Amino acid sequence: MNEKDRLEILKDILFTEDREDIDKIADRIELLEQAYNSREKFASRVDPIVEEQLDKFTKSIPHTLGPTITATLKKEIQNHKDEVVDALYPVLGKMVKKYVAQEIKVLSEKIDNQLSFISAWKRKLRSFFGGSKEKELLLDDIGGEKIEQVMLIERGSGLLKASFSKTETIDEEMISGMLTAIKTFVEDAFNQKNQELELIEYELYNIHIQSFVNYYVAVVISGAYSLKAKDKVQDIIFDFYHNFMEMNLDLIYTSRHLEQPVDTISSKLIQKKLAEYFGNAKI
Amino acid sequence: MQKSKKIVILGHFGVGKTSLIQRFVKDSFSDKYKVTIGVHITKKIVEVNENDSVSLIIWDLEGTDEVQMIRQAYLLGTHGVVFVFDVSRPSTFQNLNSDLKIVAEKTPDVPLIIVGNKIDLVIQDELQSLLKDNNIEANYLTSAKTGDAVNEMFTHLATLLNDLT
Repeated sequence: MNEKDRLEILKDILFTEDREDIDKIADRIELLEQAYNSREKFASRVDPIVEEQLDKFTKSIPHTLGPTITATLKKEIQNHKDEVVDALYPVLGKMVKKYVAQEIKVLSEKIDNQLSFISAWKRKLRSFFGGSKEKELLLDDIGGEKIEQVMLIERGSGLLKASFSKTETIDEEMISGMLTAIKTFVEDAFNQKNQELELIEYELYNIHIQSFVNYYVAVVISGAYSLKAKDKVQDIIFDFYHNFMEMNLDLIYTSRHLEQPVDTISSKLIQKKLAEYFGNAKI
Repeated sequence: MQKSKKIVILGHFGVGKTSLIQRFVKDSFSDKYKVTIGVHITKKIVEVNENDSVSLIIWDLEGTDEVQMIRQAYLLGTHGVVFVFDVSRPSTFQNLNSDLKIVAEKTPDVPLIIVGNKIDLVIQDELQSLLKDNNIEANYLTSAKTGDAVNEMFTHLATLLNDLT
């Protein structure tokens, strides 16, 4: 037995266990290879079955999960009825208003056509006897309404939620309280259910009041307040309020997942929105 | 942080509701009686602690001898109520407990502060027996004329309202 043979025997004694391990690993790799290959074959058979089951499941959702979803939605709407009505009010209001406005517009145009001839002659006469230029009188007739101030006020309590103003006024919290008191008094005194105070006029200013379920919006307008301007102001109010109520519903939803739920939108954010909607609005 | 809270001041005619507010908001007093018609609204910011203040929007309602006649619409959304009686005029507190019951029904779940005003017009000893005889438990005995306990009463209510939310 030479040196080489002895070394081989020694190797056999020392590395037997390692060799066994290597053999085991090799077997496993072989098994995995087989499994992978057979899975591909298996998938081609199983996939259509899974797809069919998925399709069945999708079709059965209205019957199985439908009632649960409907019940949950009903419960949510029940719990937040005011918010839902408030969110829908501007959308419905806008639709109805658009239709009515369109009809009135047609009628108004017909009347305008009839009257424009008379108005022109009236203006000429006013200019002749009054000394003013016809152009100035025409400008007076056109108007020049401007939004001066907007307030979002909580109904009942009269607390000011947020406001936007182009000019300095006295304390807005007191104005909103007084406005609410006047509004409450008028609505209460005449005892007419579902009737709301909509307009307060004072000399060159008008306060347009748009009531919703939880809040109302008061817009102070300077200049002659025409029907056309009213229409535009209402549109802006509805757009703003719809956005505000959407923010409210979002807040109700997201606050459930917060550790310390927030129950109101910050007045700074609403103020920013008021400025966005009413700040540069042309009416 | 600042919160806004609406409070209403109720009571019979001439018990000094407006004077109490005048003393609290403007620290002034007038002997001339001006009847409140409808409602008058004032505001004062009260610092309740280092970090918080309450903007009290005070609704001064016209006086009425029949508490039942108070316009419910004015009470909507109120956060606190102050009911004032005149310690020098028994007619304003003879039915106090039944008046308070009606007020509590009209404004459920809000703090109600009972105030006996015009204590400067009666002798202290007589006042205590008067309250005892009529089974009255007033939270505050005030004088809008001298300013006694007026600030304390409003500040107490503001603190209560701040702690409630």
